[in-house]
Amino acid sequence: MSAIQFHGGGLTALPPLSLYIHIPWCVKKCPYCDFNSHAQKGGLPEAQYVDALLRDLESCLPLVWGRPVTSIFIGGGTPSLFSAQAIDTLLAGIRARVRLLPDAEITLEANPGTFEADKFAGYRAAGINRLSIGIQSLDDAKLKALGRIHGRDEALRSVEIAHRHFDNFNLDLMYALPSQTLDEALADLDAAIALAPTHLSAYHLTLEPNTLFHRYPPPLPDDDLAADMQEAIEARLAAAGFEHYETSAFARPGRRARHNLNYWTFGDYLGIGAGAHAKISFPDRITRQARYKQPTDYLARMAAGNAAELDQTVPREQLPFEFMLNALRLTEGFPLALFTERTGLPLTRLLPEIDRACAEDLLERTLDHVRPTLRGRRFLNALLERFLP
Amino acid sequence: MKHIRNFSIIAHIDHGKSTLADRFIQFCGGLELREMSEQVLDSMDIEKERGITIKAQTAALQYKARDGQIYNLNLIDTPGHVDFSYEVSRSLSACEGALLVVDASQGVEAQTVANCYTAIELGVEVRPVLNKIDLPAAEPERVAQEIEDIIGIEAADAVRASAKSGIGIEDILEEVVNRIPPPTGNPDGPLKALIIDSWFDNYVGVVMLVRVVDGQIAPKDKLLFMSTHAQHLCEQVGVFTPKSIQREALKAGEVGFVIAGIKELASAKVGDTITHVRPAADTPLPGFKDVKSQVFAGLYPVESHDYESLRDSLTKLKLNDASLHFEPEVSQALGFGFRCGFLGLLHLEIVQERLEREFDMDLITTAPTVVYELVMKDGTVTQIENPSKLPDPSKYQEIREPIITATILVPQDYVGPVMTLCNVKRGVQRNMQYLGRQVMLTYELPMAEVVMDFFDKLKSVSRGYASLDYDFKEFQAADLVKLDVLVNGERVDALSLIVHRANSVYRGRELVSKMRELIPRQMYDVAVQAAIGGQIIARETVKAMRKDVLAKCYGGDITRKKKLLEKQKAGKKRMKQVGNVEIPQEAFLAILQVSDK
Repeated sequence: MSAIQFHGGGLTALPPLSLYIHIPWCVKKCPYCDFNSHAQKGGLPEAQYVDALLRDLESCLPLVWGRPVTSIFIGGGTPSLFSAQAIDTLLAGIRARVRLLPDAEITLEANPGTFEADKFAGYRAAGINRLSIGIQSLDDAKLKALGRIHGRDEALRSVEIAHRHFDNFNLDLMYALPSQTLDEALADLDAAIALAPTHLSAYHLTLEPNTLFHRYPPPLPDDDLAADMQEAIEARLAAAGFEHYETSAFARPGRRARHNLNYWTFGDYLGIGAGAHAKISFPDRITRQARYKQPTDYLARMAAGNAAELDQTVPREQLPFEFMLNALRLTEGFPLALFTERTGLPLTRLLPEIDRACAEDLLERTLDHVRPTLRGRRFLNALLERFLP
Repeated sequence: MKHIRNFSIIAHIDHGKSTLADRFIQFCGGLELREMSEQVLDSMDIEKERGITIKAQTAALQYKARDGQIYNLNLIDTPGHVDFSYEVSRSLSACEGALLVVDASQGVEAQTVANCYTAIELGVEVRPVLNKIDLPAAEPERVAQEIEDIIGIEAADAVRASAKSGIGIEDILEEVVNRIPPPTGNPDGPLKALIIDSWFDNYVGVVMLVRVVDGQIAPKDKLLFMSTHAQHLCEQVGVFTPKSIQREALKAGEVGFVIAGIKELASAKVGDTITHVRPAADTPLPGFKDVKSQVFAGLYPVESHDYESLRDSLTKLKLNDASLHFEPEVSQALGFGFRCGFLGLLHLEIVQERLEREFDMDLITTAPTVVYELVMKDGTVTQIENPSKLPDPSKYQEIREPIITATILVPQDYVGPVMTLCNVKRGVQRNMQYLGRQVMLTYELPMAEVVMDFFDKLKSVSRGYASLDYDFKEFQAADLVKLDVLVNGERVDALSLIVHRANSVYRGRELVSKMRELIPRQMYDVAVQAAIGGQIIARETVKAMRKDVLAKCYGGDITRKKKLLEKQKAGKKRMKQVGNVEIPQEAFLAILQVSDK
């Protein structure tokens, strides 16, 4: 940390910087998904897109001169639709343009049904050192209800292949699925644990606006049953040796997702690719960027030199909420000093609200650290609302 | 005077009164075409949306009749809802004639009948007009017969018209000229002018619409208001065409406006008589009444710091609505607010809507209630407008509730369900008359039952065909008890109700069960109980929400998640915090959704 304090606030040190890369295509769009994904029609413009990504990265360089990149996450969409060759070209191009730390976590999202054994070997050789596999469930009926293209067998096979090449992988699992019972949810979980992942994300299926499920809701378990599922899942994962470190994230010791932790500790990230978001800090301001979402728009804009649809400074009064929206997802909370370090704002802005929340058993704090209580984690939205400007 | 005709239009909502008025104005050239916005007489936005006229307005029209002479026709608009029956009677008493406009595809409705009877009692000549005859469903012969059967006036030769398509407009105007008598009155006698309506104008103060009965009124006259004995100097007189046009004087038989530098609407009461300070008339015109509020409700700002702006808004509304009454009230649960008195439920709804729409207020309205009379142990009589103020039964010997006489007009097919409804609402049948296809039922009903949801129920059991008119009759002793509601053990005064003992347990149980549905799950259990005296008669629990958390939040989600939480927070803001429980507006009115056995 620099000793120089900026008059009237400001950042004295810049946070770690990670890189997010968005691959916007899927075999088909799932009915619950509100991410920027587009059904693949015909062949993918793989080479053209990788080329655009690298030029996109280049256009970002002036904003982050000299800063090393601590992690990379290739998300989607379904990045595993891309060939190992394309991923290799991409990562090589990145290394040539930014300083990637030697121990950087490099994750690729993969969906069962889109890759086979030699592709995995290729990804590993290209430098990917962590996989995140979207199995969602291991129950054929549920996978069908979710509109997934894979079944239980394909999910199992993909994990088996992953094991051969990766010692670090995450499984995405969802619960509170259409017509799911508590027993079914736990059976799913047990099957997933048996696959020995180092990390597991267990998401409550949410009906997001602008999805097919939102318009035509399937018969979902009621709130009480869903809450029962969550509690049972947390208990079973704890018993299996997983640490519950974020709302939906569980990890074996030492295997927390470093890239995601950077989001949750209000770190910086570049975002390249269609619809990718970035957050970049400067000594006097924090900006957010978003790229054009439609792959064709993105490619056309990138060809013209700039694909940012949005590039704005986050108003100061929004920073406390944005910080808390991320940091309070962490079971361990955050050191109080991190707030000032990441937002440049004095802690006094936050303390009265923190103390109120402590009095209501939503937060607990020591002199230099604050974290959500169990109640605060259960009612995180109500807690976060208090920090809205 | 023989070329003056003063007339009103009596019609049920939607039967085409405003459209017809527009046609008259257009036909007589009162407004250029470009000035005609649809239904010019209904000037307030809410009136336009609901299609009803709240404040009576008027238009002075020049009509060249088929006999070649020019007549001054004064169309006096009347309100069209049961809450405003006094205003209607004042408007009608300023006329010599009235057009009874009936939708030829629908038939006569109770409201129309009541207003017609008022007109006939006041000696006003009623001429029927069958409107909307160009509709495929129009049955002019049947409806004419119905008018004869129900109202008892000759209707065979009623003018067939369609205000919308402009059919028969001139025929109606001829009917006005030939069948409605010219005004009578003494042009040289001492001034007597009836205040038909009054409203507040930001530039000139109170504007009064008057009918001059005797004498004449001119600027610089010293005016005496006979009910209040207030004196004011006349500043301006004129007529509405409906644009305002100044005149040198208003003479006997004429209708027009008077401006006299009055700052408060309360000084220009509808129905009062204006005379000169010298020479003054001996007796006022008959029929003046101080209108009393019939329905009361508490209005509270959702955010307590909006109390002052609620006061300002109510004060501004009252400038133009003399029948709105309010006084400060403190509720333990809701904080500072106002107990407001209204003419009826519609009036309440209109005020509530105007406060929310024009003044941008977020409000909690408590369940509407009527006035109860209490005979105390020492024999004194007091009135209770707020159920939570009802003292312990040991303090009084009797409680009396207002009873109304309700006239219901309903097609024969629905008589059964309507009678069942009236019985459930503790009604006593007084009369039943078959009038052609329709049946006229007369019931005495507790007003408290009527202000709740009677009208909606009546419409639903009769598929919308039944219509209702009512009049206050008397206060009657009844076995009434106070029903309290407790939320997490605390009595919420704003939720107290006065109910009949026979229904009390059932209503208490239904009420808390309804409230359980309406109060959203919160971070802790919420117990809702109903109690009579100290005794709990029902209990429901809104189980605590188990969790409220977003499953995912990554780098690209910030903006979306922020919007989601902002929306969630805004939703809570619309709720009132009572203790640590957030209660939505609907829950305060849950009683309106309780169905009867």
